Amino acid sequence: MPKLLTTFVMGVFALFAIFATVTFFKTLTPAITAPTLTQKDISLEQAMEIAQAAVDECKKSDSAVTVAVVDRVGAIRFAVRATGATPDDLEAARRLAYTARTFRGPTSGWIERTTPGKDPVSLIGQRQLENTLAKAGGVPILLNGDAIGGIGVRGSKGDDMGDEACATAGVKAVDGNL
Amino acid sequence: MFRMSRMLKAAAAAAILMAIAPGAQAQGTGLTREQAMAALQASLDYAKRDQSDISLVVVDREGKPVLYARGNLAAPHNIGLAQRKAYTANRFKMPSLEFETKSQTNPELGAQRESDETIPLGGGVPIMVGNEVIGAVGVSGTKGGQPGDEACARAGAEAAASMVKRLQAQN
Repeated sequence: MPKLLTTFVMGVFALFAIFATVTFFKTLTPAITAPTLTQKDISLEQAMEIAQAAVDECKKSDSAVTVAVVDRVGAIRFAVRATGATPDDLEAARRLAYTARTFRGPTSGWIERTTPGKDPVSLIGQRQLENTLAKAGGVPILLNGDAIGGIGVRGSKGDDMGDEACATAGVKAVDGNL
Repeated sequence: MFRMSRMLKAAAAAAILMAIAPGAQAQGTGLTREQAMAALQASLDYAKRDQSDISLVVVDREGKPVLYARGNLAAPHNIGLAQRKAYTANRFKMPSLEFETKSQTNPELGAQRESDETIPLGGGVPIMVGNEVIGAVGVSGTKGGQPGDEACARAGAEAAASMVKRLQAQN
């Protein structure tokens, strides 16, 4: 009889020990509840299509333009310099694309907004941000209101607004296919 | 009369030289957009066969970028690496893999590895037209490591070069 009791007590202790051990290790490896992010982003293939459409649009008015397409974090996905254009043109196109992406609108609109006197408190300080350029020619690539990239065009014969028209044509080329 | 004909000959020679000179100068200008695009397309074809996600930069003879293409799955360093490989191949007028080997054994070349713009890694190939280097292609991200990157960049560089040669043959 005492032997049976000892076995029973040992058994209870053993169960408790197992339960305690499992609980302890569970606290060491907590369950992951926060999901990873899934975001849309502009692909190289799309970026090349967008850029080509912008180049083609500008070609209609006999303009050879430099184009840059940036992804959702504003990094270059695809860029190509027009024949004979300067390295500065490529940098300008990149900045235009970045500015349009980060402020989620055409750079022409951003210039308006940041012009002193438009707002009670001037937004002109935004123009001091790195990588931005206060010129027309940058247009965002939007998907359901989410900016997943941007395009910048530089060097059209129609000046800044001509650049913007070609950039807009570029984005339009992938409309509905993003 | 004799003097007159000599003057005429000299004038004719001068006229011919003046006519040729702009053409010779035009050959000296850099890569066209179409040539850079041809390089990208050839390298992308290689990448497709290789089933790899490449990043590529084409530079002109000044070492300045003409074209950037960053792969969809690229790591943050890939595009910068591609640019430095292209810069290295253009500057030293040899594949960057060759520069890596030569600068290892030649102590005089060693310091050239330290520049911010160069890199002793394979994957940069100069665009050669005859003996002239008119730019370079740099690739990062193939499955074949440095030799793979170099083969991919070479496909691009050769596509651009053959386009230049076709253009020269037409003129």
